[in-house]
Amino acid sequence: MTATAATAQISGGGLAARRALRAARVRGVAFAMLGLLAIYFASANFDVPAKFSLWIHEQGGDSAVLETKVGLLWIVAAIASAVVAGLQLLRGAGLRWRRWLLVLIAPWIVALLADLLAGKPAILTNVLAGSFEQATPIAMAAMAGILSERSGMFNIALEGKMLIGAFTASMTSSLVYIATGNVLLATLVGIAAAMAATGLTGLLLAWLGIRHKMNQIIAGTVINIGAVGITNFIFLRLLQHNTQYNAPPSVQPFKLPFLSDLPVLGPILFSAKPYVYVGYIMVIVLTYMIYRTRWGLRLRASGEKPAAAGTVGINVIAIRYRALILAGLISGLAGSYLSLAAGGSFQMEMTAGKGFIGLAAMIFGGWHPVGAFFASLVFGFADTTQSLLSILGVGVAPQLLASVPYVVTIVVVAGVVGRVRGPASAGLPYEQG
Amino acid sequence: MRLELRDITKQFPGVLANDRISISADRGKVLGMLGENGAGKTTLMNILSGLYKPDSGQIFIDGEERTFDDPVAAIRAGVGMVHQHFMLVPVFDVVEAVALGAETVTGFLGTFDRAAARKRIVELSEQYKLEVDPDAKIENLPVGVRQRVEILKALYRHSDILVLDEPSAVLTPYETEELFAIIRSLAAGGTTVIFITHKLNEVLEVADDIVVLRRGRVAGTADPKSATRQQLANLMVGRDVELIVPKGPAKPGDVVLHVENLQVRDDRLEMAVKGVDLEVRAGEIVVIAGVQGNGQTELVEAITGLRPIDSGQITIGGHHTEKSSPRHVSDLGVAHIPEDRGRDGLIDYMTVAENYILDSYHKAPYSRNGIFDLKAVRERAAQGVKDFDIRTPSIDTYAGSLSGGNQQKVVVAREFSVPVQLVLAAQPTRGLDVGSIEYIHRRLIEQRDGGAAILLVSTELDEVLAVGDRIAVMFDGKIVGILAGEDATYENLGLLMGGASFGGGLAA
Repeated sequence: MTATAATAQISGGGLAARRALRAARVRGVAFAMLGLLAIYFASANFDVPAKFSLWIHEQGGDSAVLETKVGLLWIVAAIASAVVAGLQLLRGAGLRWRRWLLVLIAPWIVALLADLLAGKPAILTNVLAGSFEQATPIAMAAMAGILSERSGMFNIALEGKMLIGAFTASMTSSLVYIATGNVLLATLVGIAAAMAATGLTGLLLAWLGIRHKMNQIIAGTVINIGAVGITNFIFLRLLQHNTQYNAPPSVQPFKLPFLSDLPVLGPILFSAKPYVYVGYIMVIVLTYMIYRTRWGLRLRASGEKPAAAGTVGINVIAIRYRALILAGLISGLAGSYLSLAAGGSFQMEMTAGKGFIGLAAMIFGGWHPVGAFFASLVFGFADTTQSLLSILGVGVAPQLLASVPYVVTIVVVAGVVGRVRGPASAGLPYEQG
Repeated sequence: MRLELRDITKQFPGVLANDRISISADRGKVLGMLGENGAGKTTLMNILSGLYKPDSGQIFIDGEERTFDDPVAAIRAGVGMVHQHFMLVPVFDVVEAVALGAETVTGFLGTFDRAAARKRIVELSEQYKLEVDPDAKIENLPVGVRQRVEILKALYRHSDILVLDEPSAVLTPYETEELFAIIRSLAAGGTTVIFITHKLNEVLEVADDIVVLRRGRVAGTADPKSATRQQLANLMVGRDVELIVPKGPAKPGDVVLHVENLQVRDDRLEMAVKGVDLEVRAGEIVVIAGVQGNGQTELVEAITGLRPIDSGQITIGGHHTEKSSPRHVSDLGVAHIPEDRGRDGLIDYMTVAENYILDSYHKAPYSRNGIFDLKAVRERAAQGVKDFDIRTPSIDTYAGSLSGGNQQKVVVAREFSVPVQLVLAAQPTRGLDVGSIEYIHRRLIEQRDGGAAILLVSTELDEVLAVGDRIAVMFDGKIVGILAGEDATYENLGLLMGGASFGGGLAA
C-alpha cells in the first residue's frame, strides 16, 4: 500500500466510482460526436484528392506517391471514432481508453492534414525528417529533466538553461569564427561554451536547491526569469547593433555513410544535422546507464527513496549535484541547437517554451528516455506540421497554427497522460545524517 | 562478534538523548533493548550504525575500539541495521534493493552485475531460510517479506551484528513468530542480535539478556528467565503502572451504532469493506481486531462520514447517517479519535487551545456571530489541559511540538469535552508509551461506564484482550468472527487475523 497515494486523495469511495463511470460515458459520447464530425467533413470535401509522397533515396529523387480521396480518409477516421466510442460505451470505466485514443487520433490527423492541404501534395519525408529535427532539442531537454528528476530534483530551469545555451553558443561561435575562420572549430567551441555556461547554471540550481533547500520550483523560476533578463539585455545592448557577433556558421546536415542509403528511411532518419544523431545516441546511452549500471541504480534510489540510499552509505547529495550539472550540460547542448542549427542566430526568448515542452515529454514518456524520445516526436510532429501548413498557406490563421504545439502539450499532459508516477521523492530536499 | 558500548552520550538541542549508556552483547546472543518512545533507543542505534556521532563514549567490537564516521564505516565493521521504517526503494526489485550500495560491477560503464547479486541473494536466503522471491518488486511484497529483505540486506553485507529497530511494529502475530524463528537461527549461527522494542512479551520471548532504557539512561537490566512483564513495565516507566486497566463487566444497553451490509471503497476505488454487519451497544467496548489494511480504516471513515459509502446502512442512535457530513455525525455526539492523529486528529501548527476547539469553534460559547470569544476559548482549553492532564508548556504551544502521548491527550480531551453517545477510536494507542496507553484505556473504560458505546480499532493483541468486551476480527474487508472478550485468546485471535474463519464465520 502506498501511503502517499492514499493520503493524496481523501475522498473516494462510491462517489468516485460513479464519477468514473459518468466520465466514461461522457468520453464515449464525445468520441461518437467526433465520428459524426468526420462524416460531415467527408461529405463536405469528398472528392478532393489527398496526395502523400515519400522520397525513396534522397530529397528530390524518386518518390513513392500514395493518392486517395480526402473523403475516404475521413470515412476511415469516422469508423475509428465509432469503434472507440462503441468500446467506451460498452465497457465503461474499465476501458483503457488512453491507448485506444491513439487508434482514433492517428486517422484523424491524417485526414485533417489532407483536408487542410486541399489537394496540395504532402511530402511525408519532409514532415517526418522535420519532426525528428524539431524533436531533438525537446528530447534533449527531456533527457536533462529525466536525469534531474530521477535523482530527486525538479528542474524547471531547463527553459532558462536552453536560452543561456543558445545565447552563449551563438556569440562564442561567432567570435571564434571571426578570429579563426574555421567553421568546425567555431561550432565546437560554441557548443562547449554553451555547455559550460549551462553546466554552471545547473550547479547554481543545485546549490540553491540542495545546499540552501530552496524550493526547487522557485529556484528554477528565478533562473528562468534571470536567463530571459540577461540574454535580452545583452542582445539589445550589443548583438542588435553588432550583428557580426550573432552570426555563427550554421550546422549543416550530414549524411551518415551506408545508413543514409537505406530506401525511404535513409532520407528521414540518417540525412539530418549531427545533433539528431547525438540525440539518438543520448537516448540509448542514458537508457543503458539508468537501468543497467550501478550509477543508474543509485541515481534512481536517490530520486525514489533517498533515505534508503543514505543508510547504505550512498552520498545522495553528491549524486544530486552531479545529476543537475549533467542535466545542465545537456540543456546547453539542446540550447545550442536552436541558435547554431535551427535558427542561424540567437533571437530573444527563442526557446519559446521548448524546455517546458521537454518536461512535458518527460512526463508523457513516463520518465523513461525511450518513452520521452517518442513523446518528443509527437511534439516535433506538431511543430513541423504547423509550419508546413502555414508555409503552404492553408485557410487557417497562422497565429492559430502556431499555437498547435502548445495546445498539443496541454492536451497530452492534462488529458492523455493521466496519472503517471514519477520518482517518489522528486522535489523534496534531503537531510543527510 | 562481541559488541560493547561504553558511556555513550549524545546531546540534542534541549534533550540529553543518551546519557552515559553502557551496554554489551556477546556473540550469538540476542540482547533485548526495552524502552518507551523517547528513551533514547533509536538515538543509540543511530550512533551504532554511523548515522550520528556520539558526543563522548566508545564503541568496541571484539574488544577493539571503533569509530564510525558514516554508515559505510559501521557496515564495514559488520554492523547491520534493520530500520523501523523500511529502507527499501519501493519500485526496485529484491535484487536491486538488497544490492544497492554494495553492487558488484563489470565493464568500464560500471554495469551492475545483477546475475552475481541474484545468485548470492538466493544462496543467503536458502542458508538462513529467509524465503524471498528475488525478482519480486518491493512495493508488491507484504511487510513481513519486506522485513526479510531488510535482513537479507544486512547479511549481504556480511553483518555479524544485526540491529532490529521495533521490528514487530508492522507484523501480524504469525509474521512476528516467523521473525523470532529467524532471529533465533541467526543467533545460533553466530550473529549478535540487538532487538529494540517496547513490547514486553517479545523481549521475554526472544532475548537472552534485557536492558531497559529510560530518559536516555540505562534504567536496569533483567534476565528474561526470571523477569516479569510487570517488573519490566515498571522499569520502563519509572513507576508502578497497570498493564491491564481493571474494569468491571460490561452492562450493554440499547444499540447505538448499527451497521448493516456496509460496502466502502478505498482510495484506489477497490472494495475495502465488503459487507460488514456490526452492532455496538451503549456501555460496551467492541474491538475491531485485525492486521492493518483489512478495511478498518475505511470502515471507521465511513461511519464518521469522511468517506462516501457504496451501499449499506449506518444508523447512530436511531438516525440514518449514510449520507451525513462529518459535522452532522459529530453533532450526534460521536467522538472520533482518528487513526493518523498527525493528519486527521490535530493541526501541528495550531496551538493546543485552537486544536481543542477544532470541532466546535463555530458554536457557542467559542464563537458568536462568527467571531471568537477568545476568553471562553482560553478558559475551556485551560480546563481541558487540567482535566486531561496534558503536559504542555501552555495552551499557546503548537500541538505539533508535544510528545505523541500528549498530542493524543489533546485529541481525547477535545472529543470527550462534550457528552458523547458513541466513541470511534482508531488505533488510539499507536506509537504511545506504556504510561499513555494506560491513560487512554482508562479514559475509554470511563466513557463506557458512563454509558457510551465504544468502537475501538486495534492491531495490538494485548490491547484487544485488555479492553474488549466483544471482539470482532476483520480480515479482507469482512468480519470473520466475533468473540466475547473472555473467550478470546492470542491463539484464536491470531488465527482469525490471519484469515482463518471459525466454521460458518460467526461465533458469539
